[in-house]
Amino acid sequence: MPENITVTFAPHISKPLSTRRVMLDVAVALVPAIAAAGYLFRVHALLLIGFCVAWCVATEWVCNLIRKKPNSVGDLSAVVTGILLALSVPPALPLWAGAVGSVVAIVVGKMVFGGLGANVFNPAMVGRAFLTASFGMLMTTWTVPAPVDAGLPKIAPENMVNTRTQATPLAWSKMAIKDEYGAKIYNERQFAHTLTGTIGGCLGETSSLAVLLGGIYLLLRRTISIHIPLAVLVSAFVFAGIAYLINQDAYMQPFFHLTSGGLLFGAFFIATDPVTAPLTRRGMWLFGIGVGTITMLIRIVGEYPEGVMFSVLLMNAVTPLIDRLCKRVPAGGKPRA
Amino acid sequence: MATTAQASLSFAGGVHPPDSKSFTEDQGIQPGPLAAHLAVFLSQHIGAPCQAAVQKGDTVEAGQVIGECHAFVCAPVHSPVGGKVKEISLQSHPVLGRSPAVVIEPNAGTQPAKPPFNRPQDFDPAAYESERICEAVRDAGIVGMGGAGFPTSIKIQPDPKNPKETLLINACECEPYITCDYRVMLEWTEQVITGIQLIQRACGASNVFMAIEDNKPKAIERIGASLKALGLSEKINVVPVKTKYPQGGERQLIKAALGKAVPTGAIPPNIGVVVSNVATAAAVAEAVVDNRPLTHRVVTVTGEGVTRRGNFYVPVGTPVATMIEHCGGVTTEAVKVVLGGPMMGLAIADLNTPITKAGGAVTVLTKDQIGKAKFERQETACIRCGRCLEVCPENLNPTKIAHAVKNNLLDVAERYYISACIECGCCSYVCPANIELTGYIKTGKIFLARQKKKMPG
Repeated sequence: MPENITVTFAPHISKPLSTRRVMLDVAVALVPAIAAAGYLFRVHALLLIGFCVAWCVATEWVCNLIRKKPNSVGDLSAVVTGILLALSVPPALPLWAGAVGSVVAIVVGKMVFGGLGANVFNPAMVGRAFLTASFGMLMTTWTVPAPVDAGLPKIAPENMVNTRTQATPLAWSKMAIKDEYGAKIYNERQFAHTLTGTIGGCLGETSSLAVLLGGIYLLLRRTISIHIPLAVLVSAFVFAGIAYLINQDAYMQPFFHLTSGGLLFGAFFIATDPVTAPLTRRGMWLFGIGVGTITMLIRIVGEYPEGVMFSVLLMNAVTPLIDRLCKRVPAGGKPRA
Repeated sequence: MATTAQASLSFAGGVHPPDSKSFTEDQGIQPGPLAAHLAVFLSQHIGAPCQAAVQKGDTVEAGQVIGECHAFVCAPVHSPVGGKVKEISLQSHPVLGRSPAVVIEPNAGTQPAKPPFNRPQDFDPAAYESERICEAVRDAGIVGMGGAGFPTSIKIQPDPKNPKETLLINACECEPYITCDYRVMLEWTEQVITGIQLIQRACGASNVFMAIEDNKPKAIERIGASLKALGLSEKINVVPVKTKYPQGGERQLIKAALGKAVPTGAIPPNIGVVVSNVATAAAVAEAVVDNRPLTHRVVTVTGEGVTRRGNFYVPVGTPVATMIEHCGGVTTEAVKVVLGGPMMGLAIADLNTPITKAGGAVTVLTKDQIGKAKFERQETACIRCGRCLEVCPENLNPTKIAHAVKNNLLDVAERYYISACIECGCCSYVCPANIELTGYIKTGKIFLARQKKKMPG
């Protein structure tokens, strides 16, 4: 008989699934958005994404050394955080700002809580929030996508000083709300662009089609379930729809809201981060409705043109409470005392 | 694995491991090896252990009582062969560590072949009184052969407070690799049907269902044909159910086949249902009609880690080592020997562990089958992906319970219904972080039992 027989608890087999595979799936789903960013905003976009990923991975590696824990960069979660952070910032953000955001995202967003699985807030959104608070101007400077302006074939660092800034669809939306005029015009002219991405906006959010493609990939691979994205989009749609019905000149039509800004991106990639979202299905519905509603609240009623980052962070804070509220009942019902 | 029409009856949750039945499903039941010593445990059932009825040096006959019952929840044990009692000593047990057993040295030349079962031409279950059936079942020492080992006579006894209206025969065999029940259904068909009728007569059920997973079309056909030939198609309803693990769990089976939910903490008789395994039914037929005690069973030896595979009819008490040797021994890649299937089976260290009445398989696994991460037991952090919640057939929150146990918060574990866990292993199976959820939950149950003084330690 062989000497190397092992004895462990059952089960003795498992599905070939690992955390790394899950993260890899997310990274693959982000490829269309990365490609769109590269096409729309050229070299600097790809440099920014690469830079953020590198800094996220390096920061996690250093943090593991300091904590004297085994190296966790192999699980690719830092890579995903880097990509998500880069895709959620404006295309002209300087590389050094990307690095700062990455360090904050990993250290404050993940490591201080105890590493992957222990964090309360979405690390990429923590990084972005820090950048928004610290470098407000940089975070609200938008760029004309390259295909729109043939005069700017490459948005290289030297061009950044001279880039023409262009208001984003959400900025127009805000103007329309203030002026109570113009929404219809923007709807007609710009809706098609919100789908393809030839508009201003953050790196990953402009091309709605690319984001949708990635989102569908994740759904098919069962990496994410439909509950959170559906809840986010439906609740946002309903809120936007109500506003639109009230005043069509002031408020953009609901589909416009779905495809503008970071809502689609947030619905499929940010709000679905498993660590910071509820565990149960009922909890996921609540979470998604919260994200969608608060986003639209900020977009329509609040001062800020965009609300995804804040709504996700707010709902992340409430997730432990949601988990407690939405406990599962066993299949045979609650045990009778 | 060709399946005919896919059944749709099922339960929520569950997983689909590869069924790996092709190794042994087409192998007929063969007589197994006769070991030099048989170690028959005095406790092969849920309930109080038997008291030894023989002493060292005694001569015993095949079928002689060697362990007597002195309690209600108990089942006697019998000697499978004629021989001599070598000793009564502690032998390796997969759960209890070590347990007392009667070690018997068979007489030279005793061959373990299954005696043929001839269903009487004019068989009518009504000719047997329920009491007589239950007594015969008890005296034969029959226990649940699907794995649980509950004394069958107590299960099938009629209970005026909880009338047993429905008899559900569990022919699912949902664990991967195992094919012993499948072969019993194909080869001992009439014996199984006779047993089902006797159980029905004993418990007084008005409805009888037989649930078979849809990956066993031949068995469904064979049983259907036999029932028709015997004129019993209306009396015993064959219900194909969707192939999914753990379809054979009685709570999941009752949900799928009967559409009823067994309340948490209750057992099927509380809702008027009796669930019985097919092999147990076959044993009942042998006990009542032929007066033979339960001394042998069919065991599947399988897995990539053993040289040859098959389904063998062996005496209870045969050491696992003897069976593995009979199959050509383990291969060089074998790393685990499991009593049972890969999802809920118990890994053993001592290959001299003997076969019990309730153990239907020996699965020898290689590192490839187990997977590198699982074999090396590399656990990473829980990413709260929720897959374990999705697959839990009891709708629990396995990660919460497991982490509560890990952090010694047993009250939290209780609040998340740790006692409702059926330990099926689905949660550990899907976990991407390779956390041993089932292991933590099992450990938590033991800690809780100790805390409540229900267990020593």
